[in-house]
Amino acid sequence: MVAVEDLSFNVARGEVVGFLGPNGAGKSTTMRIISGSLGASSGTAKVGGIDVANEPRKVQAMLGYAPEVPPVYTNMTVKDYVSFAATLKRVPDVEAATKLALGRVGLDKVASRLIDHLSKGYRQRVGLAQALVHDPKVLVLDEPTSGLDPAQRVEIRNLLAELAHGDRTVVLSTHVLGEIEAICSRVIIINRGRIVAQDELARLGQPGRAVRIELARRGDEALAALRGIPGCASVEDIEGKYVVRGETDLREAVARAAVPFGLLEMAGRERLEDIYLRLTAGGAA
Amino acid sequence: MKSVLAIARREVSAYLTNPMGWIILCGFVIMWGIFFTIMLFGYNQAAAEAVMNPFGADQMNVNDMVVSPLFGNMSVIAMLASPALAMRLIAEDRRNRSIELLLTSPVTSTQIVLGKFLGAIGFAAVLGATTLLYAGILMWLGEPDLGVLGANYLGFFLIFGTFLAAGLFASSLTENQVLALVLAFGFNLVIWIIGWVGSLLDEGKLKTTIEYISMLEHIEQMSKGVIQTQDLVYFVTFIGFFLFATVQRVEALRWR
Repeated sequence: MVAVEDLSFNVARGEVVGFLGPNGAGKSTTMRIISGSLGASSGTAKVGGIDVANEPRKVQAMLGYAPEVPPVYTNMTVKDYVSFAATLKRVPDVEAATKLALGRVGLDKVASRLIDHLSKGYRQRVGLAQALVHDPKVLVLDEPTSGLDPAQRVEIRNLLAELAHGDRTVVLSTHVLGEIEAICSRVIIINRGRIVAQDELARLGQPGRAVRIELARRGDEALAALRGIPGCASVEDIEGKYVVRGETDLREAVARAAVPFGLLEMAGRERLEDIYLRLTAGGAA
Repeated sequence: MKSVLAIARREVSAYLTNPMGWIILCGFVIMWGIFFTIMLFGYNQAAAEAVMNPFGADQMNVNDMVVSPLFGNMSVIAMLASPALAMRLIAEDRRNRSIELLLTSPVTSTQIVLGKFLGAIGFAAVLGATTLLYAGILMWLGEPDLGVLGANYLGFFLIFGTFLAAGLFASSLTENQVLALVLAFGFNLVIWIIGWVGSLLDEGKLKTTIEYISMLEHIEQMSKGVIQTQDLVYFVTFIGFFLFATVQRVEALRWR
């Protein structure tokens, strides 16, 4: 079975790219290929110009990978585990690197605890500490915030934003669209193993292609009026708001048609959520 | 090399922070104590009888009557204990995904396998170290031949190493530790008893081959204190074969 096919993209140095797609779309597979834990049956993945399949050790020395399930040994203490990872990643000064990584992800206070006794959020941080202990140029993070509560999520998100500073390249996958909007400069949406969209966040949602309005008087009459707008391709009812879609900038026409029904609110730009739902429609495995 | 040692050290400490490691350690110490006591009392009795029987007295020898049979019995214990020691080495890592740390770090599959193997051998060395007590008792009470004692220790580690290498390979085949245990035990049993099949056969190439594969043939001389190159080659070949197979298996994990 083919998990990902025809999947081609570039990530520039210092860029923070979000990987988006339904479960089973091939996000994890792609990230594992980049990090060298999985071989691709065809095609190549290059990091810093080096082919992962040919020289995996070289790539892995400058890449940090945090899988969705933190790859931890639960019978080790946090500190022992991170310094073990640092040794494997050939860090010159293991002790200093361990201390720095623990501080960065906020694990100093639990450094001497067994990983087995940590909560899910802390384990996720241990997984992150392992990925960044060798100060990699490239960070690949597979759903770093999955299973966390909202407060932990914000903490990790802030941490990621901090890590993305400078010329570090970050590729992260997530289900949480807000996360992408908060920290990514570019988004790649994949569905059924193929890329369906990739662009800078600001350019993905083009003005006027999807207009979201809230009306005081909803009903068939209003729907009919909206559908009658020239260039209107569809009208959807999403969470009590109408979303009018078309191939051209519809903002002015929608405004004119909507005023008689009591236009309360109007947004002329597609939200990431809308784009995502539109592009991955029927894609959930 | 640093990575290999780091992996090995982690494995040894994993045994010591895991109930299974301590259960095996306790079992090993108890078994060794029981066998040692039996052998020593048997020897004592034989010595008492030899006083009455001058013809038997020149047969009395602490090497042949205590050291060799003791280590012989412990080889069987090694065969039983090694699958339990080896089963977690790779299967556990795969089950709880910690294998991904190893696979995405700049270490080769060979380094991973060598590290795991050395870790298991390291724990076997901890087991071996507990028996120095009995070696000390023997030296205090009598005069065992140090050469024979040394050869038996060498044999013990080679046997343990072969079984652990087989167990490591079994552990790389599945995520299920129990299955790895059963597989490893199967490998060990074949290596151990295939000689019996050989002894039933008529003289010929097949018989020679089968008898060569059997481990029993190769520890006989060593238990008497004779270290032969061909026996060393046998053990090194077996260990090398299983380690090589395991490396291939770990490499294949990257291509699931």
